[in-house]
Amino acid sequence: MIRVVIAHHAARGPYLADAAPPDEPLANPRARKMMSRAAYLAALALADVMRALGLSADERARAGYFLGVGGSAGSLEDVGALLDASIIDGAFSLPAFGDRGLPACNPLLAFQLMNNFTMCHGAILEGLGGPNGALFSRGAGTVAAIAEAAHAVATGECELAIAGGADVATHPVTLAELARDGFLARGLVPADGAGLIALRAGAAAGAAGDVVLEGAAHASGRGRPLDDALDDALDDALADALARAGRGSIAEPDVVVLAPWGPPAADALRSYAAARFPGARTSDTGTRGDALAASPALAVIDAARVLQATPGGRALVLALGVDGDPGAVLLAQEAA
Amino acid sequence: MTPPARRSVYVRGVGAFTPLAPTWSATVAQLADGACAIREITAFDATGFPCRHAAAIDRELPDEDRRMPYARAAAREAWMQARLAVASARLGVFVGAESGRGRWATVLGLARAARGAPGAPGASGAFDHARFAREARPWADRIDASVLSPSAVAVALAHEVGAHGPVETVSLACASGSAAIVEAARAIRLGEIDAALCGGVGADVDPLMLAGFGLLGILSPRGVSCPFDAHRDGFVVGEGAAMLVLSAERGDAVVELAGIGRSLDAHRLTAPDPEGSGAARAMSAALADAGLAAVDYVQAHGTSTPLNDRIEVAAIRRVLGAAADRARVSSSKGALGHWVAGAGALGALYAYHAIAAGEILPTANLRTPDPLCDVPHVIGRAVRADVHAALASSFAFGGANSCLVLRRCG
Repeated sequence: MIRVVIAHHAARGPYLADAAPPDEPLANPRARKMMSRAAYLAALALADVMRALGLSADERARAGYFLGVGGSAGSLEDVGALLDASIIDGAFSLPAFGDRGLPACNPLLAFQLMNNFTMCHGAILEGLGGPNGALFSRGAGTVAAIAEAAHAVATGECELAIAGGADVATHPVTLAELARDGFLARGLVPADGAGLIALRAGAAAGAAGDVVLEGAAHASGRGRPLDDALDDALDDALADALARAGRGSIAEPDVVVLAPWGPPAADALRSYAAARFPGARTSDTGTRGDALAASPALAVIDAARVLQATPGGRALVLALGVDGDPGAVLLAQEAA
Repeated sequence: MTPPARRSVYVRGVGAFTPLAPTWSATVAQLADGACAIREITAFDATGFPCRHAAAIDRELPDEDRRMPYARAAAREAWMQARLAVASARLGVFVGAESGRGRWATVLGLARAARGAPGAPGASGAFDHARFAREARPWADRIDASVLSPSAVAVALAHEVGAHGPVETVSLACASGSAAIVEAARAIRLGEIDAALCGGVGADVDPLMLAGFGLLGILSPRGVSCPFDAHRDGFVVGEGAAMLVLSAERGDAVVELAGIGRSLDAHRLTAPDPEGSGAARAMSAALADAGLAAVDYVQAHGTSTPLNDRIEVAAIRRVLGAAADRARVSSSKGALGHWVAGAGALGALYAYHAIAAGEILPTANLRTPDPLCDVPHVIGRAVRADVHAALASSFAFGGANSCLVLRRCG
């Protein structure tokens, strides 16, 4: 049994649409112009984690980085400049796009558009060189990134792995998607955020107070919408997480932290948690704002904070993404 | 966490939808003869673009989002070949993909709703939430995230093959397809699932992505993709899908996926580490994972950009040492262009074909090898060779690297 412990964690957000955006310096200030907002938030959180861990350059070069990423999306100021210069007689013209649009555009637009850059910007700034993955996440997919980081540590692929998620629900295109699909009308509160945890192998006999990530799993939603009964899919995710923890069943956790994709998913998760774990305290990360792909990571951080003050405590994070896909993360604090 | 005993991973089926043909089996015959799919772009007016050529699929396709028909066709071919019987809960789907595209009018409408038209009263150029709330709705109604998101492809394929296991989407730019195969192999090895449909799809012969790549100055102005050639001057975008079916059960498989390796360059956004250390670490990790020190064939990332090809060859030499003189090298991108999110999966099919058919496909358009890219290239036509093991490499913008080692089953 390899113990995977949370060595540190850091969060940015969730920031609501009308909140002042963070304006913090980066190791390389010029990098900001090339970043999507999601990449910027992830880079800030990563810098926090790296500062706290105090790793050498060699240790950083071996460290893994697994991130659940949403659509990173370029700034509409840049996309708009590209398109505005491409209008002839009031209509969009592809030849004008080639002739005049491209010179009018931020030449680094591509770095904002590609989803992997949400991860790569921070990795470059902090010198991370180990195994990696940018897993596209419409909510719960971020649990897959956390699970993979845990496996990379447990199997010895790397000694330390950073895992989490970053997303920007307040981007205009994402807002448009959320409006079209009815989530804004149903009460989803768009927010931006990034959450990262640092995982590393703990000693076989753990130190008291360590928060251990026992198991994590992301399962298929089987193509069903959020309004369907999804308890069986949540059971799948929980069973997979238990199997990875080397356990056949789950004791009542002290706390269940929910990471839903808006209110419909929150209702499903609350109902599931109440039925399965009636004695557990339940909290919902989404009540502070729905940061989409960042939410499961922010929920794991919430759970870790609770466990740090709960000797011998156990926590369960349940996530439910927009595709009806569930995720489960099992955490425990080593008793003294 | 409990790391389970590692299981073997077998390649049970392969399929592709390419600019040369709608199946991998039909594509291979043309590739072996040195065919090249790169043509002048006809799907849209590319006047003024930095590159006016691409390896595009120009058949009439029913879906507006081209990723879907490409991926479905490739998956169908691979799935039919695999003839698998697997419980739905033990079958996963792992796809490397980037976003689909909304229509131009939609993107423009959203941009204007957010920041106003140039010169319009009150238009400051900055994002105006109040204006957006008032004006975006007609455009928002046209953005269907369930269709355009990167994950839409994997979700659709899972539905087609009845997979109830993990459904994951990897968005790792040029390494996406390879990294998706890594994810699938990892899940099978660890016993999370018994079989997986995996691969990648690219559909970037598209004005926005051509603009993005063009702005970076990495496209070939001549529109010629000639990896490792002395006259190479950039890459040419291609499109298509490549899929594999992997299984823990050997069945009649002749090839196994024996090694996986990943790394980050942690150097610069556009350029790889000049020493190629990130690429070398991923190659070495994949070889070590397979328990091998050498391979008979390297399916190189080989983008046809001046810097990358030279660095990649240096990394190959550093990793393989003297064995590099005996390992044949080729790149898919001369014939089929750069599929971006699909490229790594296409590379895996080249490696699979070399082992399964004993035939190494050539680097199309390579005529005058660059002396700084001195490895045993496959030029002109395919060569027959007894290939026991092959390495397929993918190196992405941003420095994410993913390598696969395929090996003949013992």
